[in-house]
Amino acid sequence: MKPITLQHKSKEELRTLLKTSAKKDLLLEKFSELDMPSTKSEAYRYFDIQPLMEQEYKTAAFIPREIKEHDKIEIVDGIVKTAPKGIRVYYGTYDDVDMTHFDPLYYLGHLLTPAVIIIELDGDIEVELLHRFTKSQTLFAYRLVIKNQINRHATLYETFEGKSAERSLVLYGYDMHIAKDSSLRVLKNQTAYAPHYTMIASHKISVEKQANMVFKSFDFGDASALTLLKVDLDTSAHMEAGHLLYIGGQAKRGIVSQIVHKGKHTSSHQEAKNILDENARGIFDALIKVEHTAKYTKAHQNSKAILLGENAHMVTKPQLEIYIDELEASHGATTGQLDKKQLFYLQSRGISQIDAEKMLVIAFANTLIEKIKDTRNQERIKMSFEEAFYASNRTKLLKKTDQ
Amino acid sequence: MPQKEINKVVSGEYQLGFEVDIETDTVPPGLDENTIRFISAKKNEPEWMTQLRLKAFKKWQTMAEPHWAHITYAPIDYQAISYFSAPKNPPQNLDDVDPKILEAYAKLGIPLDEQKQLQGIAVDAVFDSVSVKTTYSEELNKLGIIFCSISEAIQEHPELIKKYMHSVVPMNDNYFATLNSAVFTDGTFVYIPKGVRCPMELSTYFRINALNTGQFERTLIVADEGSYVSYNEGCSAPTRDENQLHAAVVELIAMKDAQIKYSTIQNWYPGDETGKGGIFNFVTKRGLCQGDNSKISWTQVETGSAITWKYPSCILKGDHSVGEFYSVAVTTLAQQADTGTKMIHLGKNTTSTIVSKGISAMRGQNTYRGLVKIGAHAQGARNFSQCDSLLIGSECGAHTFPYLECKDIKGYIEHEATTSKISDEQLFYLRQRGLSEENAVSMIVHGFCKEVFGQLPMEYAVEAKALLNLTLEGSVG
Amino acid sequence: MIQIENLKANIGSKEILKGLNLILEEGKVHAIMGPNGAGKSTLSKAIVGHYDIEVTGGDITFKNHSIIKMKPEERALEGIFLSFQNPVEIPGVNNAYFLRTALNAKRKHEGKEELNAAEFLRLMKGHLESLGMKSDMISRSLNEGFSGGEKKRNEILQMLILEPEVIILDEIDSGLDIDALRAVCEGINKMKNGKRSFLVITHYSRILDYIKPDYIHVLKEGRIIKTAGPELVAQLEAEGYESIKDESI
Repeated sequence: MKPITLQHKSKEELRTLLKTSAKKDLLLEKFSELDMPSTKSEAYRYFDIQPLMEQEYKTAAFIPREIKEHDKIEIVDGIVKTAPKGIRVYYGTYDDVDMTHFDPLYYLGHLLTPAVIIIELDGDIEVELLHRFTKSQTLFAYRLVIKNQINRHATLYETFEGKSAERSLVLYGYDMHIAKDSSLRVLKNQTAYAPHYTMIASHKISVEKQANMVFKSFDFGDASALTLLKVDLDTSAHMEAGHLLYIGGQAKRGIVSQIVHKGKHTSSHQEAKNILDENARGIFDALIKVEHTAKYTKAHQNSKAILLGENAHMVTKPQLEIYIDELEASHGATTGQLDKKQLFYLQSRGISQIDAEKMLVIAFANTLIEKIKDTRNQERIKMSFEEAFYASNRTKLLKKTDQ
Repeated sequence: MPQKEINKVVSGEYQLGFEVDIETDTVPPGLDENTIRFISAKKNEPEWMTQLRLKAFKKWQTMAEPHWAHITYAPIDYQAISYFSAPKNPPQNLDDVDPKILEAYAKLGIPLDEQKQLQGIAVDAVFDSVSVKTTYSEELNKLGIIFCSISEAIQEHPELIKKYMHSVVPMNDNYFATLNSAVFTDGTFVYIPKGVRCPMELSTYFRINALNTGQFERTLIVADEGSYVSYNEGCSAPTRDENQLHAAVVELIAMKDAQIKYSTIQNWYPGDETGKGGIFNFVTKRGLCQGDNSKISWTQVETGSAITWKYPSCILKGDHSVGEFYSVAVTTLAQQADTGTKMIHLGKNTTSTIVSKGISAMRGQNTYRGLVKIGAHAQGARNFSQCDSLLIGSECGAHTFPYLECKDIKGYIEHEATTSKISDEQLFYLRQRGLSEENAVSMIVHGFCKEVFGQLPMEYAVEAKALLNLTLEGSVG
Repeated sequence: MIQIENLKANIGSKEILKGLNLILEEGKVHAIMGPNGAGKSTLSKAIVGHYDIEVTGGDITFKNHSIIKMKPEERALEGIFLSFQNPVEIPGVNNAYFLRTALNAKRKHEGKEELNAAEFLRLMKGHLESLGMKSDMISRSLNEGFSGGEKKRNEILQMLILEPEVIILDEIDSGLDIDALRAVCEGINKMKNGKRSFLVITHYSRILDYIKPDYIHVLKEGRIIKTAGPELVAQLEAEGYESIKDESI
């Protein structure tokens, strides 16, 4: 297949390029309206999208294979390879694309995907989902549709591998439906150190009545990545979002989210902790929107960032958009350094400055990690973080120890 | 409290909606090079000024009206606006000022005749497109302070105007600022010399009177090393069904150790509860803390206008310079406000404080939009922001859009925002102690705004409180 | 003073008061005791016209006039004062300014001249001293950041200044240590003048050691089931509410 770039495509060019069916015309319409992301797009304002759009990519052919049985769901280069017994994973079409998503790449993802991967989480289960990328300079575009069952409580643990996917661009995301009275917990663990592939994940999560959604991302990656998240909350639905970011090098990573309270008595809680070293840029651009119909909403959001590297940079954009007076909403954001008083306290007990700093950084991360309720997953994430913290040579704290 | 009663409480009548009938010199609606030459000629401007205006106009023609703000309005027809309106026979001294204008200002509580001038406050009164009277300017002159209309400054102090105009807000900064650069009619110029502490409050009162007229004033304040000035502006307009455009530019420059305190009480006609009429207020205000240890402080009480689009900002260039922004913005009826500030930290150890209080009632939409940027060389820069919204009623909206960027490892940004309503519990508590509903609402709202009112000079704090009562309380004073 | 006849009241759709009868006599101290959930707080809220309470039947009269349709502030101006169990915090509203506004509203209602700031401050300072309160109470925001004890004392301070005719004390002892309780009760006792009536609502008998009641009313399941003299306290202490027979039927 001929290499493509994503930039400067007219609607007609895209139509030809993507060979879209009439069915997808609406999506094409919507995509053209939002336009290909550029530095001027609000959602990509702080993320260097331009070079990614200009780059030429090979495209991965869409050839579904037979799905083998294994203990986890493994998706290799956008094709499902394995799935555990008892979990239904299949290809299909998806008709409920959100027509009010803010992210153009959400629509592009749907346009580029001939068939979505549908995962049905039956019962109270825990599943691991591994994404693996094996080709360089390739555009991987695929979408997942994830559904759970009414009154059931499932956990999805997501990991990524892509050692040889240099200069590739991953454009994936899921449309999730959290059924009435159910709960779904997504733990996203990005520790891959392949510094060369970029990932843009564009999600839509619909949380139905009395359902509970937990989305926690633990992001210790090296290259650039952006997670765009739109969440709709129906009556009495609850969303808990947590984002831990620990990055260095030239990485630009973060979250762009919109949590939309639509029904009465909805609640959301969003918390971000960002640790930025070296030349990294962290992004937390999060909107809480409370619609006129969402009386008695409770929405709280908080972001904290610590700058460790001389050239580290944090961009925070916590936003409230509120159309009703019967509610409780707040946000807070700080960007700064480790607390001097705390450092001093530890040092006064005989701990060296370096150790005290390390201790505080780990403690800062742990406040989020320890909110994972089950100990097994908590331990896994904790290990990932410590591995990233000690194994990578990115932190000045460790460099100081060497001196 | 039932919604109907709350609405009654929060839709005070606009008290300054009168119109005076005076003979004016008004240019017909429309905007082209000839209009600009006409304005410039009317004001006997030197050629360099005319050329600057034309340059801005050319630039403006290539620009597009911005639409990123959280506001909606019918398209503005820039050709349907008259860009110049002045009372006939410009006054040479007070005896020449049309008594009807003096009367109009007296009605606004601003006596211009000498016996009644406000104690300790020097006033520049701008009526439609021209400055009609500047009080106390001779006394101020003795200290070397220049306080005059900008038209006069262009004639008398061209070197200062050439040096400082467009130095903080570049001519092509944004659509409305560029338009203003082409068509500005009058405004105020202030220069405080080295080491002088201006002994009185300086103040400009803007009044739009003529129909279909835009007001495009320009204010320039330069505070030289070690000086201090407190400047206030007020504004109002008649009640009309049509929208009128107000696009002002304010530039402040504070040199080393200088301090400028700039307070605004904005009470343009807000339109009615269906969104008909009212002023479109698109204003660019920016201050430059040029020297070390300089300080610029913006305080605004925004109760008027159908649409408010303004972001009084500080560029903190000098080391240890300080920027402050204190704001109360009220949107009731069908008003929309998108307002906030920008604090750009460039110098070392610069600090900024933002306190924004938004009150939304009825169908009002109130947005705080702010940028805090700590540059990579702004070592040890600090910012604190507090943005609170108070919602009254279920049809209104309150939105908070802060942009926080920190590039300095020693920098510190802290932002907090809350949204609340007047709780039934608070209202009941006050009523149980014998306060009427209106008084109880007013007391809670004033409590909510207290921090900002505390920043206003005494006389203006009293005015702001009264204005808030008028806006929010209908007949209850 | 206050006469309550067959009062029925709901919170939401739930009936809490189910035909309550009570007479408050001039100059007397009435204590309402009863188990949790009996309707004690609902009774106090109904008297002052709280928004949570919907009166579905019966009447409350004050000096022989029905007050049931009156706004809360009108009842307050007539002289009914509720000391709240949990006084709400109102940020930014200066304590002294609030209290002067309330006092002047009352004085205006009574056709008296309003007090200016200086006169009022003198009055307030006098009461602060007698209550052993710090003078920063003048400048602080209404109840904001007050400790439990400070909030209760602030209620008493308002009572002393507003000089109401009927004082309802809703669980005034909750959250107070013994010293604070003593100080608060001294303040209340100072208010006794032979004409003023008190309604002391409490779960525990401890407060009745400090404020001597003339009558004890037992409130249970939305009705007063027994009225007796102070000697009833000892029986309630010893045997609990279960021992009381419903004498209202």
